[in-house]
Parts: sequence; C-alpha cells; structure tokens
Amino acid sequence: MASDGRVLGTFAEPADAARAVRALRAAAFRVESAMPAPFPEVIAALGKPRSGLGLATFSGALLGLAAGVLLTVGTSVAWPLVTGGKPIVSVPPFVIVIFEVTVLVGSLTNLVAVVVGATLGARRQAAAARAGATGDRIAVIASAGDPADAGRILRESGAEEVRDVA
Amino acid sequence: MSASEPLRTIEETVRATHGRPGPAYWIGLAIAGGVAALGAWSYSLIVRTGLHWTGLQRPGMWGNLITDFVFWVGIAHSGTLISAILFLFRARFRTAVYRVAEMMTVFAVMTAGLYPILHLGRPWFAYWLFPYPNQRQIWVNFRSPLIWDVFAISTYLIVSTVFLLVGVAPDAAALRERATGWRRRLYTLLAFGWRGTDEQWRHYTRAYLFFAAFATPLVVSVHSVVSWDFAVSVLPGWHSTLFPPYFVAGAILSGVAMVITILIPLRRAFRLEALITPRHLDMLARLVVLTGLIVTYSYATEILIALQAPHGDPERSTFLYRMTGPYAPVFWTMVLCNCVGPILLLFPAVRRRTAVLFGICVAINVGMWLERFNIVVTSLSHDRLPFDWRVYVPTWVEWGVTAGAFGWFFTLFLIGLKLLPPVSIAELKEEASHAAHPPGAGEAAHGE
Repeated sequence: MASDGRVLGTFAEPADAARAVRALRAAAFRVESAMPAPFPEVIAALGKPRSGLGLATFSGALLGLAAGVLLTVGTSVAWPLVTGGKPIVSVPPFVIVIFEVTVLVGSLTNLVAVVVGATLGARRQAAAARAGATGDRIAVIASAGDPADAGRILRESGAEEVRDVA
Repeated sequence: MSASEPLRTIEETVRATHGRPGPAYWIGLAIAGGVAALGAWSYSLIVRTGLHWTGLQRPGMWGNLITDFVFWVGIAHSGTLISAILFLFRARFRTAVYRVAEMMTVFAVMTAGLYPILHLGRPWFAYWLFPYPNQRQIWVNFRSPLIWDVFAISTYLIVSTVFLLVGVAPDAAALRERATGWRRRLYTLLAFGWRGTDEQWRHYTRAYLFFAAFATPLVVSVHSVVSWDFAVSVLPGWHSTLFPPYFVAGAILSGVAMVITILIPLRRAFRLEALITPRHLDMLARLVVLTGLIVTYSYATEILIALQAPHGDPERSTFLYRMTGPYAPVFWTMVLCNCVGPILLLFPAVRRRTAVLFGICVAINVGMWLERFNIVVTSLSHDRLPFDWRVYVPTWVEWGVTAGAFGWFFTLFLIGLKLLPPVSIAELKEEASHAAHPPGAGEAAHGE
C-alpha cells in the first residue's frame, strides 16, 4: 500500500544503517539519511551520484584565471608604464599573480557552491534535516512506500528506535 | 561496546575544552596579551618618533621585522600541509591534529601579514599596495615581488580561513545541540545550517577535496613567493635558484615543530590525551625529521656551491662571513638547532620522550627564526661593496616588536581554542566508529 508516511529508524552502527538503506532501496522505498560523520558505507549504500559541485568550482577557477589575466595583462596594456626596463607584459611575474587569483576565486566559488548545495540539500531532505544527526546516531528515513514494511525492514536491520515522522 | 560510546566520549571531551577557563588559561592569556601590548607600545615609538628607534641603517634596511614576517609565514605552512596535503595522501594520523594546525595557520598568517606593514616607514600608506582605481593615477607594479607577496599572503589568509571554517561546520553543529546562550548562537553561526543529511555530506566531502587540491599548490607557492623577495635580487646570499624549495622545506619544518610545541602542553591542559596520542606526536616528529633533512641538505648545497667559487667571489665571501664573521654565533646556533635537532629525532627513544621532543621542537623554532635572520641580515650587511659593510644589531624596540608577534599569535590562539573545537569531531567519530567495527568485518558479520 502506497503511503506518504515517513518512517525514521535510528542506528548506532554505520554497518547496520548501510544494511537498512540497501534493504529499503531494494524494496523501492525512497531513502534519506542523516549522520554525524561521512560514513562511507552509508553513503555508498545510498547509491547517489558524485556531487556536481566540481563543475561550479572549475568554472570559478576559470573565472579567476580570466580575472588574473585581465588584472595583470589588461591593466598593464591599458596603462603602459615601463618599470625596470621590463616588457609591458612580463609573463613570468604575471603568472604568479594570475595563479593566486585563480586559486582565490576558485576556492571562494567552491565555498559558495558547497553552501548552496548543502542548503538546497537540507531543503530537499526536510525530514532528514529535521531529524538531524550530529551526535552519535545515524538517522535513516524511508518514504514512498508502506510504513509498516519500512518499519519492519528498519527493525530487522538493527534500528534502535523506529517511529513515524512528518 | 556500541559504536556510539566512543562517539559520545569524543564529543564530550571536545565540549569540555570549551568549559570555564581555569587560572592557568587566564595567566597564559594575560602573559600573551601583555607581550602583545609590549610589542604594540614598542612599535608606537617607531610610529610616533621615527625609524631611529631601530638599528636599520644603510645597507641593512631589512632587520628583525622582515625576519619576523618570513618566520611567521613559515609557521603558517604546517596547517595546510597537515590538513590538505596529508588529506590528499590519505594519512589518517592527521585527523586528531589538523584542526590545531589549521588554527595555527590562520593566526600565523594574521601575524605575518602585519610585519611588512609595520616595517614600512609610513605604514598608513600600506593600502597603496592594492590595485584599485585611484586619484593618484598610479598602479601597482605586478613585476615586483612585494606585489606578489600581497597577492600570495592575502589569498593564503582567505583560503586557509575558509578551509578552517568549512571544516568546523559539522563540529559546530554537533556542539550546538547542547550549548546555551551566546555559545549556542556562535555554534549556530559556524554550523552554516548543518544538519548532517546525506545530501550535505555528498557536497561537503567533494568540496573538501577541492579545497585541499587548491590549498596544496597554494602552500608551495606562498613560501616560494616569499623566497623570491630575496632570490630575484642580485645580492650575494640571496640570488639563488635553491631558495623556493629551501624556503618551503624550512617553512614546513618550523610549522610542524610549532604544532608539536603547541600540542604537547595543549593535550595535557585540555585533557586531550585520549584523542591526541603519543602516536600522533611520533608521526609529526617523523615529519620534522624528513623536512629537517631537506633543510640540512639545502644548507650544505648552498654552502658547498659558494665555497667552490674562486677567492674574492662575492658569494663565497658572504658565506664565509656568515660562518666566521660577527654573525657566526647566529649561524652555528641555527645549524645546531635545525640540523642536529631533527637528526636526534631519528632515534625512536628520543622522539618518544615527550619532554625531549618538546625541547627539540622549541630549539627548532629558535633555529628557524635565526635562519630567517641569517638570510635577511647577513647578506645585506656584507654586499658587493666592502666600503658599505656594516653590522646590524636590533635595538630593544625591535626586540619588543618581535616579542609582540609571539604575544599576538598566542593571544589569538588561546582565544581561538575557547571558540573553535581543537580537534575534528566528525572525522574522529568516523575513525572511532570504524576502529570499533571495521566496515569489512561488519559486512562479513551480516553475511553480505
């Protein structure tokens, strides 16, 4: 019987939580989780694709590269002052500044991307976010299926507590 | 034993470090703050009445303050090494010690960045170093190493601060749950809305990898840039292609030695012995050995190449001056601290004695400061023109400003210890959980 009800199971052991996740997914439940540390077995069991955050970060680094080139080469060409007899566009020293700006803008983009990704992620997983798991338990939440079945699977997998959540 | 037992213990241990400070903490903070105030007052003499308070005179126009700058940039390197480079190499021992190293990095860069400004004759014009449209119609010179410094140090400060704060977010969320009052507000702010959902972890672990990937070349670039402040000049003793790797190795040596110097009293004072174990100190001591050997090799290369030059060669003359001239005590103390000290740590019996390890690391910190002094001062004192040779001796005012750097750093560090978790709770939880029940064993037990 399909239901919108969500069932929460809490686990002390990551291996138990991973087992529950796998069993729930095999039974076609939608599964969310919250955990105090990035337990690799639980993350692997959830079977989610790798975060696409790298694309944003890479774009940020490219933007930084362009900004660095514009700042050094662009401004030197726009305001051509000869200093120390060096060429107006002195590539080796400019590379240093360009590198630093690339790293700076890339890192800040990475920061923005992770904050946005984590905020949107918490919104998409409202039930898991409400349950929260920053202490010593792992929360596994099953939905889009029969709550009784979900409760049974969670208990059989070693959940310490199973309850319905909004 | 349930896996949650060690998880709870870790959190409780870290939470306890944020308890009400004892008298020792207040005494430490008062001493550090007092020394910082002494530094500020000494510096105020220079600002109010001029550079005559310093020992700077032609040709030695760089002295203690530039030495302090190079020293503190070096100290800042260990944090990124331990948190980023060891993360990329999957060195698990970093887990318990990297947060202290990262905090140290941020506070050391904040210290280092001050000193070139303090060194300026007119520090209130320091903002001229930043490229911005202005009414003066002048623009920064991107071909100058001083501008490379501005970009490198600013980027390093921002990136290492971001790296630190991103790492703190899950831990702040853990501490937030049972905190009250202003501390709860602080942890809520630092947690960035962290709830530990799998979506959050999915993005977070990826982002952390990218931060580490950015920070690793950055850390190498920063001290290379600092070394180019010297190496791009034509002064004997400075003009060397060896400088970037030599400076980076020296920076990591001094930084790791400073981490050990801080960790040994810290683990005792905050009762973190169960989390920061002798094994962690042992692994850090091995890093000191590695970088100490690279530094020793660099010293030998630099000296032997200079001594191969014919008599009268300026490089040879400068190195002989360093080893036998008025600065010889500085040179030989440096060799003793930075070469002999790390070699002693090759012996397990030596590096496993905490008191001995602490003493050697303090000596390395002294030696590394002397190394910076040796590079900055002796080359300027003995350039290509014999009529211009002059011995620079720092005045008490300069020593006051130098001491102020240590006071400022430790003041920030002691305050930081009470606001940020000194170890990574989330990573230690992951480690403890897997130590109690290795993933492979768990799977086998469940027959999967």
